Amino acid sequence: MPAESKLAPIRKGLLEFLVLKIVGGRSVYVADILRKLAGTEFSTQEGTLYPLLSKLRREDLVQYEWQESEAGPPRKYYRLTQAGQAQLAALDDYWNLLNRTVTNLGH
Amino acid sequence: MHRIATVVRLNRTTLQLDDSAYARLERYLEESASLLEGDPDPEEIIADLEQAVAEQCTRRLPSNQSVVTLAELEPALEEIGSVQLPGNGSASSSQWQASSPSPRRPAESRALQQISQGAVISGVCLGLAEHFRLDATLVRVAFVLLLIFTSGALIPVYLALMVLMPYAPLDPDGAPVRWLPAKCRAAMEFLRAKLGVDRPRKIAA
Repeated sequence: MPAESKLAPIRKGLLEFLVLKIVGGRSVYVADILRKLAGTEFSTQEGTLYPLLSKLRREDLVQYEWQESEAGPPRKYYRLTQAGQAQLAALDDYWNLLNRTVTNLGH
Repeated sequence: MHRIATVVRLNRTTLQLDDSAYARLERYLEESASLLEGDPDPEEIIADLEQAVAEQCTRRLPSNQSVVTLAELEPALEEIGSVQLPGNGSASSSQWQASSPSPRRPAESRALQQISQGAVISGVCLGLAEHFRLDATLVRVAFVLLLIFTSGALIPVYLALMVLMPYAPLDPDGAPVRWLPAKCRAAMEFLRAKLGVDRPRKIAA
């Protein structure tokens, strides 16, 4: 395992991509995103997620709508905009390219 | 007489907090606000965090208890975590295109804007000095002299400039923001948000 300090920035950079991926086609609530990431090495917290979602909304990649919840106040449900879907597709391609490059180098 | 709880409104939920929980939450929200310095939408994120706190505390509250104490608040804040800003807060999404590194913009900082980092009051003098390429101390001394000379008539001018001059984005490598400039900045951003100036409104999907 390389030093943790070298891996942390990689995770941080990838988080945005993963959040776009989770939001995907459906509309999700922040707790859904946290739950999806919880078991992985990308496990994160609301303190990180809200600023990121705010930035993605500003960049017009996600949008949200308020939906009533069974208990408690209405919640924000996020989904991708068209630009967000295009960005996700581009990131997916780029990820595959990176993956191939990393695998093929050193052979 | 003994005060038992303070009722607070957290985004869309009301919650009763005892004194120590109230103080702790106040500190957490202040910390979050200062960590969000430079983010274009701090109010939105604070509102989200407030709602998260309300939900987490409500969930943790034992059924025979109505006042939130540190026993509920601490683990709630622990789970929410402190504010982490995503990479570069800029509106460009070019960070994924390895071929186009986002250029630093030192030259553009000549625009007439207030500079919080290293400021004494709000950053008006520092901003003016930067804009007109003058020494900041010179501008401040001139400001104080004029203030005395005009027997205070410069104060409304300063306040007007505080409202009118936008704030320069914070440079993570720059000087720290002192207490008063941070408060001024927060107050002006609050005021601008209230007036609906230069801030995109929430979208209704």
